[in-house]
Amino acid sequence: MIKKDIILKEVGKIIIPLVQIFGIYIIVNGHLSSGGGFSGGTVLASSLIIMHLIYGEAYVEKNIKKETLIKFISISLIFYAVVKGYSFLSDVYNLPHPALGPVGKIFSAGFILYLNIVLGILVASIFYIIFSIFISKEV
Amino acid sequence: MVKKMRKASAVFITLILIFVLLVGVKDLPEFGNINNPTNNILSQTYLENTVLETGSLNIVSGIILDYRALDTLMEATVLFSGLIVIMLLFKS
Amino acid sequence: MEIFTENYFETGAIILFGIGFVTLMLHSNLIKKIIGMNIMDTAIFLFFISKGYVTNKEAPIVVDITKNPDSYINPVPSALMLTGIVVAVTTTAFALALTIKLYKHYNTIDLEKILEMREES
Repeated sequence: MIKKDIILKEVGKIIIPLVQIFGIYIIVNGHLSSGGGFSGGTVLASSLIIMHLIYGEAYVEKNIKKETLIKFISISLIFYAVVKGYSFLSDVYNLPHPALGPVGKIFSAGFILYLNIVLGILVASIFYIIFSIFISKEV
Repeated sequence: MVKKMRKASAVFITLILIFVLLVGVKDLPEFGNINNPTNNILSQTYLENTVLETGSLNIVSGIILDYRALDTLMEATVLFSGLIVIMLLFKS
Repeated sequence: MEIFTENYFETGAIILFGIGFVTLMLHSNLIKKIIGMNIMDTAIFLFFISKGYVTNKEAPIVVDITKNPDSYINPVPSALMLTGIVVAVTTTAFALALTIKLYKHYNTIDLEKILEMREES
């Protein structure tokens, strides 16, 4: 038993940060190439699930508590609704908004980049909490 | 005996359903034709005006996050309420 | 009969729907019924998204701005089905949670044995 765990832990130390960087890359490049909030959030959630399976529940619970994740989810949903309502009104009454920018840069396309990031955090947190409830059979 | 009758009738009902749906497939237009009824003025408007008005190079992202963002808000609400239901089921 | 080999996406989608439906009705294990429901959902997505294809045109990601906007496929069915995929995932998660609660109470996941136990009590 001890020998199998050593191989998994040493490989996990190298692979899990690479998976997280790949997930963040898919989220941030939502308006330039294929990707977006939902697929990037799924990749980010799978990295958290692998960390739970390899290192045990106590290690993940020490760094990422469940109450913080539930606060992230609620704040993300309210933030998405408020930003979308503001962007509806900002076209009629000429309110300030982020630039539509030179086409092809990362900081362009108005509100799309920020909405993608918020969706990514929401989807990743929801999938990890559902998995953690299924595997320990209590909240 | 009752179980065998139930399984045979299940396969029979499925075959009838698939046969009726395949009769419907026979009347579909040709696959990938440009004069299909689904390529109407809506898709033409989206393809022409997306890059100028939203500034994004990915047309599907521009549609679901700029023109039809209320649908994405409702989808996020469905995910959230699914999480609430699962947490309610497992409360100790 | 040539229409079934020319429109093979739609024919394959309906045959997949039939396979998922038979899986849902034949087995008595609860997990296999949930798998059948998921296969039916995937068949519907395949049928709807394949309605947007136009021959000899490419995917709707703009690489060259000066290109004619008539050389891309129809982007509307793909954008509409993204919401449906997320709803299918939520339905599967809810069904699996109910299965766990049933297992804790009756200690089996065979549907016919659960119905017999409910008739006795």
